[in-house]
Amino acid sequence: MLRERGPEVALARELTPGQKRVTPASVVADLAILAWFVFSLFPLVWMVLLALKNDADQTSTYFRFSPTTANFGTVLSQRGQDLTSVDFGQAMLTSVLNCAGAVLVSLVVGIPAAYAAGRWKFKGSEDLMFQMLSFRFAPELMVIVPLFVIYNTLGVFDTKLGMVWVLQLVTMPLVVWILRSYFQDLSPELEQAALLDGYTRRRAFLTVALPLVRPGIAAAALLAFIFAWNNYLFPLILTDSAATTVTVAVTKYLGGGGQAYYNLTAAAALLGALPPLVLALTIQRYLVRGLSFGAVKA
Amino acid sequence: MSTTTLGTTAKSLVLESLHKRYESRGREPFHAVKGIDLHIEPGELVALLGPSGCGKTTTLRMIAGLETVTSGDIRIGDRSIPDLPPGKRDVGVGFESYALYPPLDVRGNLTYGLRARGVKDADTRVRAIAERLEMTDLLGLRPAGLSSGQKQRVALARALVRNPPVLLLDEPLSHLDAAQRQRVRRELKVLQREFGYTTIVVTHDQLEALSLADRLAVMDAGIIQQFGTADEIFDDPANRFVADFVGEPKINLAEGVVERTGVVRVGRDGALATASRAPAGTAVTVGVRPQDARVAVGEEPSVPGEVVVYEDLLEFGLATVRVEGLDASLVVQTPADVRWRRGDAVRLAAPPQRVYLFEPEGGARLR
Ligand SMILES: Nc1ncnc2c1ncn2[C@@H]1O[C@H](COP(=O)(O)OP(=O)(O)OP(=O)(O)O)[C@@H](O)[C@H]1O
Ligand SMILES: [Mg+2]
Repeated sequence: MLRERGPEVALARELTPGQKRVTPASVVADLAILAWFVFSLFPLVWMVLLALKNDADQTSTYFRFSPTTANFGTVLSQRGQDLTSVDFGQAMLTSVLNCAGAVLVSLVVGIPAAYAAGRWKFKGSEDLMFQMLSFRFAPELMVIVPLFVIYNTLGVFDTKLGMVWVLQLVTMPLVVWILRSYFQDLSPELEQAALLDGYTRRRAFLTVALPLVRPGIAAAALLAFIFAWNNYLFPLILTDSAATTVTVAVTKYLGGGGQAYYNLTAAAALLGALPPLVLALTIQRYLVRGLSFGAVKA
Repeated sequence: MSTTTLGTTAKSLVLESLHKRYESRGREPFHAVKGIDLHIEPGELVALLGPSGCGKTTTLRMIAGLETVTSGDIRIGDRSIPDLPPGKRDVGVGFESYALYPPLDVRGNLTYGLRARGVKDADTRVRAIAERLEMTDLLGLRPAGLSSGQKQRVALARALVRNPPVLLLDEPLSHLDAAQRQRVRRELKVLQREFGYTTIVVTHDQLEALSLADRLAVMDAGIIQQFGTADEIFDDPANRFVADFVGEPKINLAEGVVERTGVVRVGRDGALATASRAPAGTAVTVGVRPQDARVAVGEEPSVPGEVVVYEDLLEFGLATVRVEGLDASLVVQTPADVRWRRGDAVRLAAPPQRVYLFEPEGGARLR
């Protein structure tokens, strides 16, 4: 982002004259940060390496091997099915459809809900909001058994409709909570001015309030998409093969008793992490604001 | 200047025992407006004057339809409006917070409201109002690029451009600098006269109220304390609050006792003649404006004191006089051609009809 440097930058420079001094304490701090990076990034590095190993090297722990990209080919092509009965490409597509569907439903229902919750205090409005939030911190395991029974009874087990539905537990609270704070930040007088000009409440909402929270909608939608994408338990229990998602498909390469393909698992996991990664990078700026639930103004 | 595009028919604005009680959940109900009666003539400009939190904005918002009316009636012309939506009330509002729409430039902000009503000559009107308020150079800018004074002028223009019969302005000039304020004030007054908007202007600024308004409504604690012309309010205040709130420098208030009807004791050995008919023995608060206090002549009742501070302010002087037996000093505005000195002994008096007596408790005027 290109901004003109304000006076505060100049001031900061004056207050810290010269270069940063190297002290024993700062060296220790830098080393500690480095150690932390190595520690936290190592599993990722390991996974990348693993994904590049051929079958013979996959259980080895040394770093010298002749890398191959064949694993990605195997995962993406139908050939994977010879080994595990997983159609990874299909699972990717299902994941995209599930998550996009879930986010769409959450937006359609959640935006008006967030607006109402942000603008008006009504009987039970706070309770309702808290109830929503509690979906986020209640363990999914608590509801999964009854859901399994319900889904079987209703005939939505292993369907995309079922997944879109259950993923609302993940996406709806995010959308409503994030957008509520955006709506609260908007001066109600903007809409009131429109009302006085003769616009209806609906039009004032659509033409005044909604365009101003577009950044919030983008942040909420993408965060919700990522959370839905990463969900594992719901598709694991509530789908079988027709609506299987990436997160579940990845684990199939571990073999479940038969031969385990760690290298294919790693390759599939990397591929599966790509869409959220790309999304996260493109909207980084919105994400920080979105994650803070608007408590910190950007 | 053609007025064909802007003409309007003036309408009266009547508030009748208007009440507002805020009842938000989890909070104590708050009675913000406690029975307001105002009859504003067609085309009249009324300044609503009062301390912060007294209910001025609440009153305007009820007229605009942005706040529900707890009880009472509001009429524009002969139409009762409390049940109408804001857009159907024919009311233009200039918001305290400007409420300009960030994505649109100034022109867009001004035409926005006209478009909702399908006004055909929107562009002409916008240009006309922009010229009147000297802001044609702002038309292409976004609100974010405007100073607060400029935003305020745009907000004012937006309220005016729709040419509403009733205009409500919440502190429309508070963010302008002194020079702009005078100019916009004059322009506002000219426009208001020309097009006959029935107008309420909320303000903290007495000078603004005096210069703009035909009549002043002085409000405190949700009640209109006095409604009248500037002269009526200044010369004949309804109660201690009005006397104290209006007038610069502030009125002198001192405790006193009525000695006999027409004379009130002030301080240890002072006395003032008053036009009040309050009976002997009544404990009162005596009010005398610095402008009315003068040196006593002859044998008339007077208050002896000693000048402790004298300020020469060119057009007049201000003397602070300590009086034996009074907690607060008295302030006297002196003519430019006489200079008082520190340490001078003076005897003060004032015209009897300008010596106001108030009840010490409620502050009601004792006439
Ligand atoms: N929505 C609300 N809920 C509860 N109380 C409110 C609400 N809006 C205003 N009040 C209270 O009503 C009183 C009057 O508010 P109002 O905004 O009308 O004052 P004001 O005269 O415009 O003050 P100022 O000069 O500071 O703008 C205040 O004490 C305020 O706290
Ligand atoms: Mg106010």
